[in-house]
Amino acid sequence: MQRYFARNYDSLSAIYEFAEEILAQHDITEGVRFPVHLAMEELFTNMVKYNRDCDADIAVDVEVDDNRVRVVLTEFDVDEFDVSRPREVDTEASLQDRTPGGLGLYLLQNIVDKLEYEYEDRRSRVIFTKESGKQHV
Amino acid sequence: MFEIDYGSDGEVLCSGRLDAAQCAKAQSFMDEIADARTLDFSRLEYISSAGLGILLKTQKRLAESGAALKIINVNNHIHDVFRYSGFDAIFDIQAKRE
Repeated sequence: MQRYFARNYDSLSAIYEFAEEILAQHDITEGVRFPVHLAMEELFTNMVKYNRDCDADIAVDVEVDDNRVRVVLTEFDVDEFDVSRPREVDTEASLQDRTPGGLGLYLLQNIVDKLEYEYEDRRSRVIFTKESGKQHV
Repeated sequence: MFEIDYGSDGEVLCSGRLDAAQCAKAQSFMDEIADARTLDFSRLEYISSAGLGILLKTQKRLAESGAALKIINVNNHIHDVFRYSGFDAIFDIQAKRE
């Protein structure tokens, strides 16, 4: 199911409710829903933050099959920015050496099972999947 | 929805979802904290990197005067976020009994 959301942080609660409705329908556990919501927020806020000149809505698509959640975020008329490129954060740095920021994409890359990025005709698509934990019998 | 306020013992009670849309509210409250303080996360359901940034900024400011935040009743999912971020090494964190 796909829906479009305005490009601002106020859309986060609507995105949460949109995804939560779909995930609940499929009895996805909290242990999977939490990282799915987190990954969606980190991607959406990254798009809002780094493409401020763009005012086109962002498309969010959430699908669930037997054993995985698949989410696609698509934004239009933007420059290329590959969020799947590995990000390094020194998570062992001392408090004095830590700086706010930079954690979002790092977290994203550590909590999803698969992360893909596509760019064509100024259209950016980010696809991530998270295993639901359910097993085929 | 995110709420933040002082409890009866002076602890800071956080509830709901601390996402990027709620950061201004959280930051405004945290900026007023001037000494060591316990944050009770028993009713906090969710936190993203935006919320982590506020905690880090506050912890760094308090450290300049030798104080620190302590975070109690952290649920498993939020605890995982702290662990992935390395924040479990720079905050005194107490997990929630679930």
